[in-house]
Amino acid sequence: MFNGICGVLYRELLIYRNRALKQMLTSSLSPLLFLIAFGWGFGRDVTVGGISYISFLIPGLITMNSLTQSFAISGEINISRFYFHTFDEYLIAPVSHAGIVIGEAAFGVFRGILATFIIFIYAFVFDASLSFNPFFLVAIVLHTFIFSALAVTTSMVVKDHSGQALINNFAITPMIFLCGTFYPIDKLPYAFKLLVSVFPLTYSTKVIRATLTGAEVNIVYVALMMFYCIIFFLTSLWALRKVEA
Amino acid sequence: MNDNSDVLKAAGLRKNYRKDKAAVDGVSFAFSRGEFVGLLGPNGAGKTTTIKMLTGLIKPSSGVIHYYGRDFHNESQMTKGLIGVVPQQNNLDRDLTAYENLCLHAILYGIPKDARRERIYEYLEFSGLTDYANRQVKTFSGGTMRRLVILRALLHEPKILFLDEPTVGLDPHIRRIIWDFIIKINRTKNTTILLTTHYIEEAERLCKRVMIINDGRIIVDGDPETLKDGIGHFVLEVYKDDKIEEEFFNTRDEALLALKDSTYPCKVRAVTLEDVFLGLAGRRINV
Repeated sequence: MFNGICGVLYRELLIYRNRALKQMLTSSLSPLLFLIAFGWGFGRDVTVGGISYISFLIPGLITMNSLTQSFAISGEINISRFYFHTFDEYLIAPVSHAGIVIGEAAFGVFRGILATFIIFIYAFVFDASLSFNPFFLVAIVLHTFIFSALAVTTSMVVKDHSGQALINNFAITPMIFLCGTFYPIDKLPYAFKLLVSVFPLTYSTKVIRATLTGAEVNIVYVALMMFYCIIFFLTSLWALRKVEA
Repeated sequence: MNDNSDVLKAAGLRKNYRKDKAAVDGVSFAFSRGEFVGLLGPNGAGKTTTIKMLTGLIKPSSGVIHYYGRDFHNESQMTKGLIGVVPQQNNLDRDLTAYENLCLHAILYGIPKDARRERIYEYLEFSGLTDYANRQVKTFSGGTMRRLVILRALLHEPKILFLDEPTVGLDPHIRRIIWDFIIKINRTKNTTILLTTHYIEEAERLCKRVMIINDGRIIVDGDPETLKDGIGHFVLEVYKDDKIEEEFFNTRDEALLALKDSTYPCKVRAVTLEDVFLGLAGRRINV
């Protein structure tokens, strides 16, 4: 298993090294636009649950941006599966499926965490008042692992690149807009509340926001995040086995 | 590990992509150490599916595969280390250097860290690619990429090497360089080789044994000379208005005699492996 994790990480990090600047720039633009539009344009004097809207929004953008970056590994896995066939190198090597999944997911976690740094810089520039609970570090690893493992699963299930785009449109985008990243979900109609209660992003947003705004971390939500980690890790293994069927 | 046992033994391999049609329909064979085998057949005959099953990229619908007597399915991690695979596409990471591509392979196959560098340079030297070590793969020519893919498959010193259409798309000069390289591997390392091709000439030049697969079944298995002897030594090609007809003869004189009697343009030539295939499968292989 260890050879698989090391091999996958070695490759992904070497490739990332060449593209790091481009990807950092890409991931820095959309949160900035959200901050300008929602933070300045609309929420300057608004408070949410006793804190300023900017301070409410920043943790939401951290979850959004890290999710986007972690989940983006699915696109790269697709390219290596369908276009360059480099993924076959992993499949024929004497490494376990778990090693491949953990290697890819670890890279997704790495990318997701890098994407949070830029938001912390914005938080400083936009003068958001944040408090920092060290539990944030645990929460961000769980959060990025959930979406990296989900990315591995979907990239194994889809048959081509357009299938991946479909999943991005119908699963990831709604999640980003509905799960409390930009506004508290208790403002949603009941039906939508039910809907978002099955999305993992709802819980990671709550936990991450709590660690950055000085609120108490609900241990049930943390347990749910761990639950999603395990579920998506298992679906990744299942999907990878199906590739060889 | 017993060196006398078969390197590879496959029994009753079958793959159904759809319910009603088998892509590979129950093939069986065994290879011993150092054998050089060609798997021939037209496009869509089941060559690549067979290789994919033997290398673990797809699971057979039924049948068993053993490497040195070990079950490939149950002991896949152990047995995967015994095989080297050269796929049809040059699946290298184009943004990485040759050395980095090889280092990735070395990690995946568990070559210890302190031995990696030495092993990689030993094999770069063996393949004549030492000068390319630190250049990005995307700058390589097709022939150089191909050599690197073959070298990568050798890095963990496999007992058996699978080459899926190794020279497809290469010019005649580069093709001969690749042939020499493959022969060198077989001779100097005593590596068992299974090569698929639809170039008959390639199999005839390289392989000591050929298996012809058609419609998912192996219809012939033997050494090229014996197979050719089976249909005669000389062919008379008769160029009729709408097709070329072939007649087979045991001696050149018999063929020439028939030529004299013919009113059409004719040509006498030696029998090739392609004639064997045509006689068996009744259709022309795509060349």
